[in-house]
Amino acid sequence: MGKYLEMIRIRFLMMLAYRTNYYTGILIYSINIGAYYFLWNAIYSGKSEIEGLSAVQMTTYVAVSWMARAFYFNNIDREMAMEIKEGKVAVELIRPYSYMVMKTMQGLGEGIFRLFFFSLPGMVIVALIFPMEFSGDAATWGLFGLSILLSFMINTQLNLLTGITTFFLYNNAGLIRAKRVIIELLSGLLLPISFFPLWAQDVMRFLPFQGISYIPSMIFTEGFTGQEALQGIFTQAVWVILLVFPVRLLWIAAKKRLVIQGG
Amino acid sequence: MFYVTMFFQYIGQYMKTRLEYRTDLVVEIFSDLLSQAINLVFILVVFGHTDLLNGWTRDEIIFIYGFFLVPYALFSAFFNIWDFNERYIVKGELDRILTRPVHSLFQVILERMELESLFGACTGLIVMFYAGSRLGLELSWYDPILFLLFVLGGALVYAGIFVMLACISFWADARTSIMPMMYNIGNYGRYPVDIYNKAIRFILTWILPFAFVGVYPAAFFLGREEWYSYSFLTPVIGLLFFFLSVLVWNKGVQKYSGAGN
Amino acid sequence: MNAIEVKDLRKEFKAYSSRAGLKGAFRDLFTRNYKIVPAVNDISFTVKQGEMVGYIGENGAGKSTTIKMLTGILTPTSGEIIVNGMDPHKEREKFVRTVGVVFGQRSQLWWDIAVQESFRLLKKVYKVSDADYNSHMDHVIKTLDIEPLLDRPVRKLSLGQRMRCELAAALIHNPPLLFLDEPTIGLDVLVKLKIRDFLKEINEKYNTTILLTTHDLTDIEALCERVVMLDEGNIIYDGSLRRMKEKWAEGREIQFEFLESPELARLEAITKGLPVKWEKDEKSQVFKTVTGDDDELVSQIIAATVASLKVKDVKINEPSTEEIVRNIYERGMV
Repeated sequence: MGKYLEMIRIRFLMMLAYRTNYYTGILIYSINIGAYYFLWNAIYSGKSEIEGLSAVQMTTYVAVSWMARAFYFNNIDREMAMEIKEGKVAVELIRPYSYMVMKTMQGLGEGIFRLFFFSLPGMVIVALIFPMEFSGDAATWGLFGLSILLSFMINTQLNLLTGITTFFLYNNAGLIRAKRVIIELLSGLLLPISFFPLWAQDVMRFLPFQGISYIPSMIFTEGFTGQEALQGIFTQAVWVILLVFPVRLLWIAAKKRLVIQGG
Repeated sequence: MFYVTMFFQYIGQYMKTRLEYRTDLVVEIFSDLLSQAINLVFILVVFGHTDLLNGWTRDEIIFIYGFFLVPYALFSAFFNIWDFNERYIVKGELDRILTRPVHSLFQVILERMELESLFGACTGLIVMFYAGSRLGLELSWYDPILFLLFVLGGALVYAGIFVMLACISFWADARTSIMPMMYNIGNYGRYPVDIYNKAIRFILTWILPFAFVGVYPAAFFLGREEWYSYSFLTPVIGLLFFFLSVLVWNKGVQKYSGAGN
Repeated sequence: MNAIEVKDLRKEFKAYSSRAGLKGAFRDLFTRNYKIVPAVNDISFTVKQGEMVGYIGENGAGKSTTIKMLTGILTPTSGEIIVNGMDPHKEREKFVRTVGVVFGQRSQLWWDIAVQESFRLLKKVYKVSDADYNSHMDHVIKTLDIEPLLDRPVRKLSLGQRMRCELAAALIHNPPLLFLDEPTIGLDVLVKLKIRDFLKEINEKYNTTILLTTHDLTDIEALCERVVMLDEGNIIYDGSLRRMKEKWAEGREIQFEFLESPELARLEAITKGLPVKWEKDEKSQVFKTVTGDDDELVSQIIAATVASLKVKDVKINEPSTEEIVRNIYERGMV
């Protein structure tokens, strides 16, 4: 366990070292949230609520979705693709740790860094500029914390899956990009899932993506409370467990391929 | 002339490599189509809840999106150098570039091009014609010429911004994660800028002029006369930003030579 | 004509140091510590057209920095460089047409495409005419024996195969000056020999100037008349390889093996009056003596010894270049 914690720490330090990234990051997230705020204002244009969310709730939803994204989002799929192509993965395999867990920990280190140095200050800045509602209920905050941790797990597992495909496709940049746009739409980052037509919502209920953004953001904005919130977290947990299987299977297949073909 | 020959040489090589990995090519084109579809879905879902976006209709917004796709496709095909820092600075590939007798930016662009992105232009044209016919837009003889001019201008705006972003790596050890966020900001130029407040409108017009890739030039074809002056500024802004970015690039290369890696 | 003229060349780098720990890293966000380190310290030298010069030094001695300045990749902090009559950095695009560069650790070729496609592209980049290309490259390809590799993508080549192709790629425009930065690193002996022969050949054929950095001194011995030795950014030796050996050789060592092992005192008695010191290797019953470079003396020692004792074997060992260089660095001799 110690080595994995160390990896989190190292990543955290690495992130701190990239200073320009840090300054521009906050600025860009703020512009992003700002633009969405106005877009949604134009969409609401006087309506008090759409699909059960008020305009203020909607702004909060957008802001918290993007800030939570800073936590769960990482590029480990791209990093894996790079390591695999350059043959570095063989070296990783002879090290005394699990490559999959190590990658997850790197992602977590990055996520924790962004949560504290991006999302929290960013959220304060955004909250000063745009009207938002924050819950005073400790339970909501607690559930939200648990929920974004689960989002991180789901998103990371999907990243691992796409990363491993590099073993089978020579160049998977396209796949990585496709995964990103799919997650942006189907996770509820761009639009709350309740805005979609009913049939689409029915389909999305059976996909893991809503667990990445929609559920934690709804919990935060108190669009989900009590029973609904717990149910959401349960769904997330189920997906975390379910996704373990394809990740393991694909990884075993990839290792076999590595052994046979020598990368 | 030399540069034109070089351009086609590189394209030739590119095609050969690409055709070797056909599956990747298919996945790539498919993922492009997918992301275009997703953006359309976003617009459709939004208009499921409102009829007008600050006075703009659904079809107008779709038309703007269609227009946007064309310069964007040109940009992605040639100027998509988001991994410049990792590839050329961190790994030192720029040293190799600098030992060759061709302008360094030109070489980097040619090495990083992704011609399959040009398919996006087709999608864009289809979307535009669909929305245009629903809006009953007429085509004048000068429209295709202006269209080309605006498309080039828009592509140069994008190119200029992204080249300048890549240039950050010459001065600071920035990693590439600003780039994906920039793509998001780029998207806001596709919506009528009058929905935003002054600050953001200003940014999208003069600082990161993404509005010149979408709404401003498209407004001309939609007959929105209040935006005409901006529409005609498109090629000017494009040239200006691209020119600036080349200047910054040259400065950056100088700085790289001074400081090393 | 001089191919390279360097005067008072200096290059300084800013070396950032990060503070330790989390708190330190956080402080680094706002201010960073750095100090200025000279990598190349006011050096001067010239290289004549057609010379093959070995540029040697330990890691971090400033070899690569110099090469990068000579090829126009880096600008000097101060000093003058004239290569092929031009300032490398000022007229970069025109200048690089007149030089070829091989970085041993980095590929010049395009990873995904076949070698010959890279060649074709480079041919266009350097504006080489078909006639020139054919007459020149046919020969290069044959000598380096890379014909069968031409239709393979670079990523499928072994290091030795790739290196030969790299070398060919650097010569497409038949430059009068060739920079080789660690060209034989990690290669096996056979490939090394092939590359050396080839370099000698183009040097003779086209009077190509070659500046070579390497860790492997056998490369230098095989190729270079002249060496420039660098230590901590300063030139500590510039001259012929022979003279360096003469100057710093610790003298020769004569090894005797006798039929019956004599006492050390006996040997000392035999060579009384000669400036020698005997040593005995207990295990192999070998007796050693070290002399200066005086041929007369060597023969006197052998004559005296052989006259008095039955000798099974005699060896005269010259110190290797490697030993000499190690000596120089260890003692910091100038």
